[in-house]
Amino acid sequence: MPTIYLDNAATTPLREEVLDAMTPFLGEDWGNPSSVHRRGVAAREAIDRTRAKVARAVGAQPARVIFTSGGTEANNLAMRGLSWRGAQRQGAIWIGPTEHASIRACAVALAEEGFSIEHGQLDPSGSLDLNDCEERLSSETVLVSQMLVSNEFGSIYPVDCLAGLARAKAPEAAVHADAIQALGKLHLSLSQLGVDSLSLSAHKIGGPQGIGALVLARDLPLRPLVFGGGQERGLRSGTENVAAIVGFGRAVELAVEEQGAALESMKVLRKQLVEGLQKIGEIECLEPGDEEMQQPGILSLVVPGAPAEVWLHHLDSRGVVVSVGSACQANKKEISPVLLAAGLTAGQARQVLRVSLSGQTTSDEISTTLGVLGELVKELASL
Amino acid sequence: MNPKSVSVATPEMVLIRYGELALKGKNRSSFENSLLRNIREATQHIAKIRIERRRGRIAVFADQRVMEIAERLQDIPGIKSVSPAWRCDAEPEAIVALARTIVRDALRSRPADEITSFRVESRRSEKRFPMTSSELDRFVADRVLPEIKNIRIDLKNAKERLGIEVRSERAYIFMRRLPGPGGLPVGTMGRAMCLISGGIDSPVAAYLAMKRGCHVSFVTYHSYPYIGEASKKKVIDLVRRLSRFQAKSRLFVVPFTEIQTTIRDKAPEPYRTVLYRRFMQRLASKLAERDRCKALLTGESLGQVASQTMENMTCIEAAAELPVLRPLVTYDKEDAIKLAHKIGTYDVSVLPEPDCCTVFMPSKPIIFGKVEACEAAEAKLGVDDLVRKALMGTERIIIESNA
Repeated sequence: MPTIYLDNAATTPLREEVLDAMTPFLGEDWGNPSSVHRRGVAAREAIDRTRAKVARAVGAQPARVIFTSGGTEANNLAMRGLSWRGAQRQGAIWIGPTEHASIRACAVALAEEGFSIEHGQLDPSGSLDLNDCEERLSSETVLVSQMLVSNEFGSIYPVDCLAGLARAKAPEAAVHADAIQALGKLHLSLSQLGVDSLSLSAHKIGGPQGIGALVLARDLPLRPLVFGGGQERGLRSGTENVAAIVGFGRAVELAVEEQGAALESMKVLRKQLVEGLQKIGEIECLEPGDEEMQQPGILSLVVPGAPAEVWLHHLDSRGVVVSVGSACQANKKEISPVLLAAGLTAGQARQVLRVSLSGQTTSDEISTTLGVLGELVKELASL
Repeated sequence: MNPKSVSVATPEMVLIRYGELALKGKNRSSFENSLLRNIREATQHIAKIRIERRRGRIAVFADQRVMEIAERLQDIPGIKSVSPAWRCDAEPEAIVALARTIVRDALRSRPADEITSFRVESRRSEKRFPMTSSELDRFVADRVLPEIKNIRIDLKNAKERLGIEVRSERAYIFMRRLPGPGGLPVGTMGRAMCLISGGIDSPVAAYLAMKRGCHVSFVTYHSYPYIGEASKKKVIDLVRRLSRFQAKSRLFVVPFTEIQTTIRDKAPEPYRTVLYRRFMQRLASKLAERDRCKALLTGESLGQVASQTMENMTCIEAAAELPVLRPLVTYDKEDAIKLAHKIGTYDVSVLPEPDCCTVFMPSKPIIFGKVEACEAAEAKLGVDDLVRKALMGTERIIIESNA
């Protein structure tokens, strides 16, 4: 039974081109980039070339790309590193209403350390409520964090407008954007967005797991999370994961190159999926916010009857792979605060399935998936 | 002779105390043989050991990681306590020299102004040794204690006790006595088949049976795709944790979906849970027979949930073909939770993975079921066929401890 993989927002298969780029560094081209012999210098050179590729993808200076162990660490580095103002542990931090757990959990920890936390909200249409933001930002605000694309709904949030508001109302604040679900899907430019930092992750775009980056727009007083040998300009110590970094670079290059085509194809497939679901009936699509402001690869569904997790296992047993809620917490069974923020009840939140496409998803796969969903409605809707 | 340099962190051997008073004759040697086998299996990944067995004591020697061995042996049923120990020649002056270092080292970390009660406890199995036990106690105490501040002899309630065991050529000396589980060595009381769900109780029941000498095999029921692979993984993790207390465990994973959908479609709704459980007993009995188990084992506790009334337990047990052991039948939930914490299964048990009992849960489950009603309902299900198919699809997994 062939697998139809529709969980690309959780992770993506490593692309062949990426594996090819990485392979030498897992074999003959080994070396510690900090060593000054030829092996070390070659590894350093590979990292620097990659740094330039990642920087180019978001319009940054290569020197301001800090490689991390992934998106979570990049978000942690931004939250903890940019809220730091010398010895002082106070001020306000504003975080968006649908932020990833890696941002929300940092906010909880920072609240314990003395910061006050402000939470943004969605307006009734599901868009970011900018009026509310405006009221909550002040000269006390030291950090603003807002994701660019929701990992649960695919909504694109107006980070540029928010950054503008922040500059006016909270001139002291650094503005961070989690761009993990945006990379390879939206045109990313630090200066157009007007933010101070962006977090990125490789494995959402066909790169390896365990590598990501925080990219800075300017030289900010960033306090590291990891201290040691001073790698990454002292902002992320530890011997670099050379092969993963090289793979990240290749994946970014391919994602940007193919972005236009991938987006077009995902738009068509999304339309096919939504229309097909309308024909089946009973399954509702969650598409909050403006239709134009939508990353087409992510679609959340409300399924009837059995809990979404039972649907997931039934789909899985028939070769269709999706996720429930946010994959990182699918295990915890706690109700996703993001779904609650979008106005769902706890009961509805347990019925949410997320389908996420990639540029490689085909129309046949969507047809087959619709067929399976049609069968499952008969089997599970009345449970 | 120069005193050896010893450190409390690096003992040379482990002294093991075991045995129930009642054990005699043939029972005793079977007990000891099982215990020795279990000790070897439990320590094989830690270090190469040499075992010495003499007069109701087992001593384990290793060139390294002795403290780890001692801690590992605290999990082995049948062991009452263990003492990490050091050895020297069996002569009074050598004993004093070693005892001095051990006492000094062991008391080093106590608060400066605390007065510690202390005594020496010698045992002398070698009658050629020139002193009696009480003479040796005094001989050592007189020479060791004057050098240590804030210490007083208390023969009745000493907090710190220096143990000395004199054998033919060597003496073993120790301060610490780490408790073991007690009970009987796994294997001495045969095998039992535990029905494990992923909750808190069944792992505790399994542990209690192990502690009374049962080797426990496990059976779990899996209703894919109504519940996911993560639920099965959770049971595997629980069995892995329980395998600290016995070497290798067998887990049977029985496909249960068809049985549940058939019951859903053809049996009265209030009876669903009781009927699920009757099938579980039936299947467990068949697997037990193949696995040479002499009893079934469950975590049932009287009145804890609707299916655990006496009436429902009667209905459920009627489907079993072997005696059903229920170590927790009179336990309060808090007591089971306490034990679950102690044996390290609690944090896995509380992971929120559903088990098959939650599938098609009846809205009003029967509280006082009747066996005749169960049998009447089952007459329409094709029981034998369902059981045969489930057994054919059963997967057997061998699980070793990662301790």
